[in-house]
Amino acid sequence: MSAITGTWLLRMKTPVGTIEAEYRFEEDDGVLCGSARGNGETTPLTDIAVTDGAEGERVTWRQRITRPLRLNLEYDVIVTGDTLVGESRAGRLPRSRVTGERAHA
Amino acid sequence: MPQLRAQFVLFDGFDPLDVIAPFEALVAGSDVLAGALSVELVSAAGPGPVQSGLPQIALTATAALDPHAPGYILVPGAVGPVDGDPDAGDETIPVLLARFAASEAMPLIARALDDSEVTVAAYCGGSLALAMADLIEGRTATTHVLGIDMLDATGVNAVRARVVDDGDLISGGGVTSGLDVALYLLERDFGSTTAHAVEELFEYERRGVTVRTERPAAA
Repeated sequence: MSAITGTWLLRMKTPVGTIEAEYRFEEDDGVLCGSARGNGETTPLTDIAVTDGAEGERVTWRQRITRPLRLNLEYDVIVTGDTLVGESRAGRLPRSRVTGERAHA
Repeated sequence: MPQLRAQFVLFDGFDPLDVIAPFEALVAGSDVLAGALSVELVSAAGPGPVQSGLPQIALTATAALDPHAPGYILVPGAVGPVDGDPDAGDETIPVLLARFAASEAMPLIARALDDSEVTVAAYCGGSLALAMADLIEGRTATTHVLGIDMLDATGVNAVRARVVDDGDLISGGGVTSGLDVALYLLERDFGSTTAHAVEELFEYERRGVTVRTERPAAA
């Protein structure tokens, strides 16, 4: 099972300020799926891919958000235990830092 | 022919040059055309003063934005700091545009985009604001050079040009491009004589190639 399975709180910088969203990753019959909830909308994650690396598990996905503004985003993060660190990118815009912690129910 | 309305949409933080220059160009065009256009300043909230992005300049809207008035709806951009930290409260241009994109003006502009009797012309950050509000995904458009990558990231087919004609959506590049948009609208819809007369009067010539998308012929 992927280390990212579960619920996470992520923060990321955008051109209009830092936004927070809750991410949920689930594994069903070996297929990883996920969704993000923030700014009043829930969006599915697409093209989720997991690879093992020296520093931890690397997870990438794509996401289409409409709030706080319409953007196509690509994420690339490394999961280490209960934290993750990485980058998100909107098209050709500069990459911006993403951090997250596992949310404990 | 009934008078067409050209409504310039004011919002908090708008760039005055984006409004004034094309406003005057359309007024001059209307004069050439014996008053074919009623050129107006409007806002979603209705009549009243609207503060521009420059502290010394406010303009007064005389009417509420009417999304179904035959003619043109012109959407300017914003002026403010280019750099800054939105988390520290800096009202950068993207912050001003995102606020406009979340405002009550956008559902009205969405209705205008669906109305075949209305052409929406958005330029400088105005076209980016429409994209932020998810009104023009899949359309071909341009914006200020500083916003072109963000426009692309919203799912718009972003093109670098001073004027882009995508049918009922005309877009323009940064600041001074608003003049080119106004001249292009005059040329496209009223003929080259009218547009040329305004160019002569303003001692300004539109420049660059206008990018037109290929559209199926009207049924």
